Amino acid sequence: MNIGWRLGVLAVAFATLFSILTLRLWSIQVTAATDYEEAAQNNLVKFVDTPAPRGQIHDINGVVLADNRNARVAVIEGALVSRAGRDQLVRNLAAFSGKTAAEIGELVDEAQARGDRIVVVPELTDEQVVFLAEHPEDFLGVRIVETPVRVYVNGELAPDVLGYIGRPDADDLEKPGIKPTDVLGKAGVEREYDGVIRGTSGRIKYRINARGEILDQLGEQLPSPGGTVILTIDSPIQEVLNSSLDQGLALARELHREGGCVPRDADPGCPVRATGVVLDVTDGSVLAMSSIPAFDPNIFVEGVSEEEWARLNSQAVFNNFAIQGLYAPASTFKTVAYIAALEEGIFPQEVDTHQGLYDCDGLLEFRFNDGSRQVYNDWLADGHGEIDLHGGLQASCDLYFWEIALKVWNGRGSEYDQDLLQQWARKFGFDKTSGIDLPFERRGLIPDEDWFTTAQEETPLLVRDTPWAGGDVMNIVIGQGSVLATPLQLANAYAAMVNGGTVWQPRVVDRVETADGTVLDNPPFAASALELGERTDELLRFDLQQAVNGSRGTARTAFANFGENVELVGGKTGTGEVIKGTGDEPEDVDTALFVGVAPINDPKYVVVVIIERGGSGGRIAAPTAARVLQFLLNGADGVTDVGAGEESD
Amino acid sequence: MVLTTRRTEPVTILQRERSLRPDLLLVLPYLALSALGIVMVYTASAPRNELLGIDPGTTVRRHIIFVILGFAVFIAASLIGGRTLRSLSIPFYTGSVVALALVLAFGRELKGAQRWIEIGPLQLQPSEFAKMAVILALAVLLANAGAELKWNHIAAAVFLVGLPAALIFRQPDLGTMLVFAFVSVVMLFVGGTTLRQLAFIALTASVMAVALFQVGAIEQYQIQRVTSFLDGGADRENANYNHLQSQIAIGSGGIFGKGLFAEDATQTNLSFVPEQSSDFIFTAVGEQLGFVGGTIVLGLYAMIAWRLLVAAANGRDRFSQMVAVGIAALLVFHVFVNVGMTLRMVPVTGLPLPFLSAGGTFFIAMSLGLGLAHSVWMRRSPVPDE
Repeated sequence: MNIGWRLGVLAVAFATLFSILTLRLWSIQVTAATDYEEAAQNNLVKFVDTPAPRGQIHDINGVVLADNRNARVAVIEGALVSRAGRDQLVRNLAAFSGKTAAEIGELVDEAQARGDRIVVVPELTDEQVVFLAEHPEDFLGVRIVETPVRVYVNGELAPDVLGYIGRPDADDLEKPGIKPTDVLGKAGVEREYDGVIRGTSGRIKYRINARGEILDQLGEQLPSPGGTVILTIDSPIQEVLNSSLDQGLALARELHREGGCVPRDADPGCPVRATGVVLDVTDGSVLAMSSIPAFDPNIFVEGVSEEEWARLNSQAVFNNFAIQGLYAPASTFKTVAYIAALEEGIFPQEVDTHQGLYDCDGLLEFRFNDGSRQVYNDWLADGHGEIDLHGGLQASCDLYFWEIALKVWNGRGSEYDQDLLQQWARKFGFDKTSGIDLPFERRGLIPDEDWFTTAQEETPLLVRDTPWAGGDVMNIVIGQGSVLATPLQLANAYAAMVNGGTVWQPRVVDRVETADGTVLDNPPFAASALELGERTDELLRFDLQQAVNGSRGTARTAFANFGENVELVGGKTGTGEVIKGTGDEPEDVDTALFVGVAPINDPKYVVVVIIERGGSGGRIAAPTAARVLQFLLNGADGVTDVGAGEESD
Repeated sequence: MVLTTRRTEPVTILQRERSLRPDLLLVLPYLALSALGIVMVYTASAPRNELLGIDPGTTVRRHIIFVILGFAVFIAASLIGGRTLRSLSIPFYTGSVVALALVLAFGRELKGAQRWIEIGPLQLQPSEFAKMAVILALAVLLANAGAELKWNHIAAAVFLVGLPAALIFRQPDLGTMLVFAFVSVVMLFVGGTTLRQLAFIALTASVMAVALFQVGAIEQYQIQRVTSFLDGGADRENANYNHLQSQIAIGSGGIFGKGLFAEDATQTNLSFVPEQSSDFIFTAVGEQLGFVGGTIVLGLYAMIAWRLLVAAANGRDRFSQMVAVGIAALLVFHVFVNVGMTLRMVPVTGLPLPFLSAGGTFFIAMSLGLGLAHSVWMRRSPVPDE
């Protein structure tokens, strides 16, 4: 038997198989060797990010408001968790942290999927640190890292300005370079200046083995800390503003109901909030900004119970009402018409100059074309007697300003531009955001016919169906109707009125000092400069001073116990009429406003205080602001407790 | 290459004795591979054991015991005469089938497959010996059949291979089944099948496979195992990972390799390749000894394969020839599938690399097979010039 040829075929077949293997070996080891060498290197090099400490936030005096402390945190390094060790790790971590295996499993898988770090235990005790350090083999892929954690040194001092931090939301993640594990500024300066505060994370290059154990550190790029932000906020002023608003709000609640009250649906008249701004009129710097009730931004770092969160959120404490609260400026808005009157020479019928007398008898009849008439009543039923423009402002005579509005309305299309008064308001920054370096600022509203007709079309249920009329303009001049402004807008407008016409773009940050020592200045910026008549601001300041100091001034009683330097204070009260509640006895929930200016001979500060549902401006807002002004003019020793003034406009 | 020698003179006692000298061209590569295997198993297992906190030498010591046992088996098998072996073949085959059945009934489950049976402290894999048993049984069948294979021989061959294959399928061990298929086809081909008969076998196998699926004799999980095997592993990602890591390790070796225990032979030292001391031992060779080392290893296998074919060509009878052919096919198939797997050419099947992989039963079984084939050479038809 001859099996020779069949064996020959087999030999050839075997030789072919060996040749295939050899060729393949050649192609992998020789032709493509460098690729594989690289892949082999990458197998054992892993990068781990180290978070940068957020930059500090200081007040203008260098007082640290936001700092960092180091917390020891247990993190799962996704890049270091081995495939084989995953289940074991989940079991051990669940036992260690007290979380369920399912929760831990999710965290581990997420960390692995992203190749990133995820915190499992946010703050380790000493015992826990020791335990982890002694059992590294049971926690492969888990590391203890010292992580900078935000601390707000005096949390409730200026939360509205500082803002708070948090994890990125879906929108944030769209931005380049944002990882789900990052911490971002969510509000206030923390948000607005997040780019400079956040810093740049560092990176550690490790050599690891297949089980994810770190063999050695190959290199480290240190994190670059965020820059230090220096605010324009002046802590002592901020503190006095806070305590004054606290006292003012408490007083308002006491006045509403003996023993105070708690805002709730059943008590719609209970004052809910006090908001204030102190602005430097010479450069637009915000020296203090606050709304009460406040919150402690540390809760966003340490966590907060759901109930506490719900309670705080129901009071809208996380909103910065100084730039987000919209209020009818009421009589504080009369200064706009006052200036327009001086500049344009618009005075009541039969009055030719600002000194011309007008009989403010408390009653204004407005006749319509069809012969019907409407009667407007001044806030003071008997009126203020014979007064000129100055008396009108000091005593806050509605009639005088209505007459100005009527004059414009009646002369519309010929003598005057129909929107003349609104234009003046806009010149002072109303109806647009001030451009302050804080997020979520609202623009307010100065209504005009265009706005009105658009609103009629778009939201017919909210607007009456008759045409825009002179009455609407009358409402505007006294800051009512649909006029809305933020406390900051009001402060900024007054600043421009008393500083000779410069409308500043307000700022809360003075400069940023980066980690490498570079100083990024945020200098004052004049948004516009109005050319006002030579004597306009002088006259205005005199009248504001009289409103506080004069015999018929609406803020007179509020400042009766001011102490020395009261003559250096000027101001204007306002009471925004708001009707809330239903039924037979709708509750009066007026907004109390006061704008103070000091020193009135050479203005430096504007102080705005608004107490929501606080009632009369002269009674509650003016004394609250007075306490801040006492501090500004007379120092800490000059400050007295807030006491109610006389009810006035 | 001369594969056959013509018998021209009558055999004398003297010549017979002289011919009992070992075939050094087969023995030396066998020894070289075994020695290299010990080194490779150590390099691949020591760092891993260290990580696990056990003595780094644990794996290799165990392996060395099996190597020594294997050498003994090799020598013993080399001395078994053809006639004795032939008479033992059928009992051996029967015993293997029974052992497979026992594994199925009482076997220990390892990595999802019942392949092991424990006899005292020893864990044996009967399927490794079943490979040998099938070769011997087929050799008996083909020897009895004579030069011309009839259809009833083919049917008997299908049955002989099919029975243990079915038992292994129940275990399941698809790598071994493929070994059966390859080895039996090679043996039948050399044994004289016509192409038509080979085609018939292929057809029967396909029809049977389909029929098994149709009548539901195969459970769902078995189908999954088959399909996942065809996909490249039950856990596809895992299998790909093994595959990729293995390829990276070999590729990073370059021409000359990184050297044994070299600091930068990181894939081996840092345990990136899974199952490295057993199924993926060739990656340790590839990374540490490079293309040169890998080629030498392949060359050693090729040399053994060549010597086995020469032994077959010179076998004194048809049974001996068939045994040598079967062993050659067994060896070549294991080498090709295993090395091919580490080079990412064929799916991960779990076939170890002869003489190099750690894994006791397999080393002993392969030594037995090689010894039997060696015996064929030693008792070959006498050659005039020897």
